Amino acid sequence: MKILGVALCALFLLTSCQVLGKDGLIIMTDRSYKATVFMTNKSGFGAPDGLRWFNGKLYLADEGAGALEAWTSDGCIKTLLDGQFGARSPEDLVIDPAGNVFFSDDDAGGVWEVDAAGKQQLLAGKDKGLYSTEGIALAPDGSIIVGDTDAHQLFKVSRGGDVSVFLGREFGIAKPESMTFDDKGNLYIADNEDNVLYLLDTNHQLHRVIDRQNGFSPETIFYSRGSLYITDSQSGKLYIYTPNEDLKPLAAFGGQLRNIQGVTTDDRGDIYVSVQSDLKHKVGYIIKISKETAVS
Amino acid sequence: MISSVALFTFIAELTSRLSGLNDQVLLRVNGLAGRSWLFDSLVGLTQENDLLKAGIIGCCFFAAWYSGKTTEQTHAGRKILLTTLIAAVCVMATTKALSKTIFLPRPAIESQKIYHLSGDDLVELKRTNVRVPLDEESQKEHRELVNGDVESNDLGSFPSDHAGFFLTISLGIFLAYRRIGLVALGWTVFVILAGKLIQGAHAPIDILAGGFVAVTELSAVRLIAKNRLDSLLEVLTSWSFKYAALSSALLFAIVFEISSTLFHVRQALALLAAARHHLLG
Repeated sequence: MKILGVALCALFLLTSCQVLGKDGLIIMTDRSYKATVFMTNKSGFGAPDGLRWFNGKLYLADEGAGALEAWTSDGCIKTLLDGQFGARSPEDLVIDPAGNVFFSDDDAGGVWEVDAAGKQQLLAGKDKGLYSTEGIALAPDGSIIVGDTDAHQLFKVSRGGDVSVFLGREFGIAKPESMTFDDKGNLYIADNEDNVLYLLDTNHQLHRVIDRQNGFSPETIFYSRGSLYITDSQSGKLYIYTPNEDLKPLAAFGGQLRNIQGVTTDDRGDIYVSVQSDLKHKVGYIIKISKETAVS
Repeated sequence: MISSVALFTFIAELTSRLSGLNDQVLLRVNGLAGRSWLFDSLVGLTQENDLLKAGIIGCCFFAAWYSGKTTEQTHAGRKILLTTLIAAVCVMATTKALSKTIFLPRPAIESQKIYHLSGDDLVELKRTNVRVPLDEESQKEHRELVNGDVESNDLGSFPSDHAGFFLTISLGIFLAYRRIGLVALGWTVFVILAGKLIQGAHAPIDILAGGFVAVTELSAVRLIAKNRLDSLLEVLTSWSFKYAALSSALLFAIVFEISSTLFHVRQALALLAAARHHLLG
């Protein structure tokens, strides 16, 4: 009888444990959203950082694999530029309306381009002072704005590869990790060393929009439809920021999903977040956050 | 084939019923929360205040150490208490290791919309309808939770280390001296552990599992002590009589740690681990 009791108790304890092993979770702080795994390493990527949708393709700045890649809806991943051409650690990317892709690289430095025809080139490299490039944005005039961690400056790179200082050291930006223009031509800059979100207005005046607020540390920012989507890899949170409103958390990532990096949206407004679970061993996820569809 | 299908069905049915029972008990006990600020604050005080939470157990341990009508009785009691301390450290290590391996968030966390990574899929966890206590600390923690601030400790609530640790100590005191042990057991069950259920910090299954680890490991350590460590315990106990002042000082440090569930010892060990990591790479 005693043995039966102990066996039943052990059985109860073991079978009641939901999951053994590694954990990873997402808490939806805005319950109107749901989360799904969009892609895993099985799709063929390493551990991506920057993400962008363009013409039904998802472009990945794959920091883990050291490559720029494009995913198509048939499930294939195509490498557009990798270490053979000199890339080492792609960080973030932008795509112009013609389909030319530009990305930054914090190890190899510089601004890299793969044009719509697939031609690869180093638009501007270390020889022009771009040693450790992080955030990258497409200016309304078509030039590329890139942030450099070592120089603590923002540079303007013309399509011809000319480099000039866009925002000098005197502005005090420690680490321009990510950048994005809004629809009015203002530039948002995420500094995840000083933990500040800046806004550079069209008069070239710099404002501190969110300044060291409750451990907030912006990793990647992406502007879409009047709102700014922000990942915070330190706290594992995905935020939405709308001007004149408070910073609002959408979801909190934990366990092996905590290290969230890039963020983007597709044409339908669904949000895509890249997660680097283990950069060294190239383990990553792309998580899709979308609105719950109403049940009639 | 038929017997294995029948066994599988039986296990599935049993698990489902026990899981349902677990939820029912949790909701009944947690149902006491969120109705009275005074009641919730008192429960909160017994969970946050070390003197009220574990100080009583420490006092019982102290009393048991010096109890005994004869020197022989005190001697025998001290041997049991020393064995209990060894078991308590083992239980704490076991429950901590298990809770870091098994993903089972606290009921209060499970009240939120959570997706858990299972293989390559995100699976939405079943939500529990936990009531939030009205005291300030619980309300603050709830606000943090709604804001997505979750401690990693909150994701592994199974088994309860509090249940394991305090039940081991209380059972050990009970084995040494019945009356003092009953006070310790009563305080552990009806104040410390009931408070965990009321606050939604643990489900009954967490507490049962903690208790299971406590009983198993205390029995095992007692068995080993009887067969292998008796001479060592004999020396230590005799030493505690011979050097009464020094042993009292050490006992104070031990009881102090019991009152904080070995928090300071764990903090020191964590520092050592960090130092090893930084210095040796």
